[in-house]
Amino acid sequence: MTIEIRKPAKALKGTTAARTTVHRSSSKSAAAKSGEHVYDTLIIGAGFAGLGTAIKLREAGVHNVAILERAAEVGGTWRDNQYPGAACDIPSNLYSFSFAPNPNWSRSYSGSQEILAYVHSLVNDFGLEKLIQYQQNVTRVELDDAQGLWMIHTDGGRVWKGKTVIMASGPLANASFPKIRGIENFKGKKIHSAQWDHDYDFTGKRVAVVGTGASAIQIIPELVKKVDKLKVFQRTPAWVMPRPDFSTSELSKKLFAKLPFTQKAIREALYWTHESMALAVIWSSPVTRLGERLGQAFLKSQVPDPWMRRQLKPDYKLGCKRILVSNDYYPALQKENCELITWPIANIVEQGIRTSEGIEHRVDCIVFATGFDVPKSGTPYPILGVGGRELAKEWQRGAQAYKSINVSGYPNLYIMFGPNSGPGHNSALVYMEQQIAYAVKGIRTILDSNLKMLDVKPDVQAKHNANIQKRLAKTNWNSGCKSWYLTEDGFNATMFPGFATQYAAQMSKFDVKAYRQVKADVTA
Amino acid sequence: MPQLDLEKTLRRIKENQWALADIDWDAPGREMITEEQWPKLKAFMADLTWIEHIGARGFAAMAKKAPNDTLKEIYTWFHAEEQRHANAELALMQRWGMLEEGEIPEPNINLRLTIEWLDKYSDDMPLSVLGSVIPMLEVTLDGALCKFLLDEVKDPVCHEVFKKINADEARHLGVDFHVLEMMGHGPMYRLALESIATAINPKLLLGVAVYFPLLNRMRDNIVTMGLKEEKLYEAMAKFEKYGGETPEGRRNPWYQVMRLHGKWVIDRKNRFYHVPVDAAVKASNYIPKSWLPEVPSWVNKLTWHTTA
Repeated sequence: MTIEIRKPAKALKGTTAARTTVHRSSSKSAAAKSGEHVYDTLIIGAGFAGLGTAIKLREAGVHNVAILERAAEVGGTWRDNQYPGAACDIPSNLYSFSFAPNPNWSRSYSGSQEILAYVHSLVNDFGLEKLIQYQQNVTRVELDDAQGLWMIHTDGGRVWKGKTVIMASGPLANASFPKIRGIENFKGKKIHSAQWDHDYDFTGKRVAVVGTGASAIQIIPELVKKVDKLKVFQRTPAWVMPRPDFSTSELSKKLFAKLPFTQKAIREALYWTHESMALAVIWSSPVTRLGERLGQAFLKSQVPDPWMRRQLKPDYKLGCKRILVSNDYYPALQKENCELITWPIANIVEQGIRTSEGIEHRVDCIVFATGFDVPKSGTPYPILGVGGRELAKEWQRGAQAYKSINVSGYPNLYIMFGPNSGPGHNSALVYMEQQIAYAVKGIRTILDSNLKMLDVKPDVQAKHNANIQKRLAKTNWNSGCKSWYLTEDGFNATMFPGFATQYAAQMSKFDVKAYRQVKADVTA
Repeated sequence: MPQLDLEKTLRRIKENQWALADIDWDAPGREMITEEQWPKLKAFMADLTWIEHIGARGFAAMAKKAPNDTLKEIYTWFHAEEQRHANAELALMQRWGMLEEGEIPEPNINLRLTIEWLDKYSDDMPLSVLGSVIPMLEVTLDGALCKFLLDEVKDPVCHEVFKKINADEARHLGVDFHVLEMMGHGPMYRLALESIATAINPKLLLGVAVYFPLLNRMRDNIVTMGLKEEKLYEAMAKFEKYGGETPEGRRNPWYQVMRLHGKWVIDRKNRFYHVPVDAAVKASNYIPKSWLPEVPSWVNKLTWHTTA
C-alpha cells in the first residue's frame, strides 16, 4: 500500500525554523575520539515519541544522536495500523505536537494515513532523516557499568553505544495472534489488525472479526461494505460514544495557517474539554453516571432490538476499560450481511470458528482485532542494568518506575510511556511532550555535569509508586473489571491516576536530588 | 456435596467443548424410531428443546449477577451450553424427520409465558432466586426427561448426543449446588430478611404465576408421553438430597422454598396447591396468541444446522 506523504504545512515549517536553534554543542566522548563511536543519546523507535525526542534534544543542543528503527519506514503504531478505517480517537488538533501544528488536517478525527503523513512531515521539516538507522531491530540493551555506557545490540550482531538511551519503542508496538485453541489449524487467511495484509481481497468473502475493541469497531464498518458475510465475535462489549467527526472547511484551514493563534485556541479548548472528561473516566462521580446514560441513550438510539442491546451493553463502570467512539459501528452490526456472535469461542478448526453453542462458523478469513501485547510485567527486549540486573525480572509482578520514565538501577535510561503514564481521557501526545521535556532535562544534566550515571534512588522510586498506587486504588480502572491496563493479578502498571495537568506538574520539575550521581572518570 | 474449585471447573468446561459437527447425523439408526413413538416423541422433543432454551436464558441472567469473574464466566459458558443442547435436540428432531425446512417447533403456552417473564424480568432477579430455580428445573425437567428419552429411544445417535449432554449437565449441577450452598452462608437473620424482601417483589410473584403452571403442564405432558410420574418425583427428590446435603445448603431459605414447593408438586392429594394451579394451566390454554408480544430475538437463535 502506498502512503501519501503530505507536503509539510507552512506553519509547521515556520515553527520548526523558529525552534531549531542550536543551544549548545554536544560533548565529544572519549570513545568517539578513539574511533569507536559513542552517541550522546540513542533513541529506540522512530514513532511519535522517538522523533519528538530527537527534535527536542537537538533544540537543546544534543546533536550526537541516532534513532534505531526496526522497520524500513518511520511512523511506529501509525505505520503498523493501516487497516481499513484506522483513525485516532482523539481530535487531530490535539493529537499532534504543540510545537508542530498542522493547519491542514482534513477532518476533526483524522485517519491513520493522514497521521502517518504528519509523522513523515516531522522527519522532513526537522531534518531527522540523517539520524535514523533503519532496520535495526533491538535484541538487547545492556549497561556497561565500568564505562557508564549503554550497549544496544541489534539484529545482525551490531552493537550501538550510547551515554544515554531513550526507549521509545512504544507500548502499542508488538502484536501477535491470540492464544485460541486450534488457531494453528485454520486453513484460511489470518490477518492481525496491526499487521494488515493490503493485498488480500475481501470482496465477496466470508469473514470473521475476533474482538470488539478500538481497532475492531473501526474495521467492521469498512469490511461490512465489501464482504459477503461478516461474523463479529465479541467477548466483552465496550462503552461506545458518538464521535463528533466532521471534515475541516477550507476556510478554517486558511485561518489556522494565517493566524496560528486560532488553532492554538482550538487546541486549548479541546485540551480542557478532554481534561473535564477525566471526571467521568478516571474517577467514579456523578459525571460518570451521566456518561453512562449518554452511552446507553446512544446505544438505544442506534440499536432497536432489546436483546442485541443487552449483548452490546457493558456491565462495568464507564472508564474501567478504554472508551470507544464511533458513529458507524452499531449500524454496521445490524447490516443484513453482519452477525454479532457473543457465544464464547470454543476453538478454531480448519474451516472456521466453533462457538460453544455448538455451531461451526465457516469463514474464508479471520481478522484478529485483539490488540497489542502491552508489556505490563516485562520488557519488549532484555534490558540489563547495574551489575547485570534484569528489568523484566524486577517487573515480573508489575512494572514500576519513577515518574513513569526512570527506573532505579538503570541509569541514564528514559522510557517513553513507561509505567503509569497512560492517559484514559486526553491525548497521548500531551503526555508524551512532558516525558520528552523531562528526558531532555535529564540528558542535559548528564552531559553538562559529565556524569557517568544519573540513577534514581530506590527509596524515591518506592515512595513515588506507593503514592501512585494509593491514588490508583480510587480510580475506575481499579474498580474490578479486567482490562489490558491491569496485570493478571490486578496490578495497574499502565495508567496515570489524574488529570493531564497533574501529569504535566509531575514532569515539570527535574529534581536532581532524587538521583544518585556518579561522575565520569576524568582520565577516560 | 463438597465445595467446588471453580477455577478448575472453568478449565474443564473449556477443555470439554463439543460441537454439532462432531456428530454424524446421517449415521444409521433413525429407523429405530417406531411409528407409534414418532408423534409422542415429536411433542416431547419440542418441550425438551424449549426447556433447554429457557434454561440458557436463565444462565444468561445469572451471569449478570455472579459475585465473581470466574462464576460469571462459567455461567456465560453454561448459557451457551444449554443453547447447544437445544440445538442438538433440534438436530435430532431434524434427523427423525420431525421438522420441515426452516421449522422451529412452537413452545407451549406455559413455556411461552415463561419466555416472556425471563425476557422481561430475569435480569432483575437476585442470584439467590435464579440460583435456586435453575437447579430445580435442571434436575427435574431436564434430568427426568433425558432419562426417559434414553430408556425409550434406541437410536445410537440419540445416545451419543445425550452422553455428551449429560456430561455437560453433570458440571452444571455441580456448580448449581455449589452456588445453592454458597448462598446459605451468612447470618440467618440476613438470609431471612433478604428472602422476604425478594419474595414480595411483584416481578417475582409474576414469575411464580408462570412457574407453577409450567411445572404442572410439564408433568401432564410427561404422563401423556408415557413417563411414570414417579420418575419426575424421583428426580425432584434429588434436588432435596443434593441441595440439602450440607448445613449451609439447608440454611439457604430459597432451597427450603423450592423443597417445600417440590413436596406440594409431588403430593397429588394437596388440593390447595393442585386445584388452582391445574386451573391456571387450563386457563392459560385460552390466552389468545395475539395477546402475546412478538417473541424476543434470542428465541430465534435456535438452529439444527451444524455449520453457519
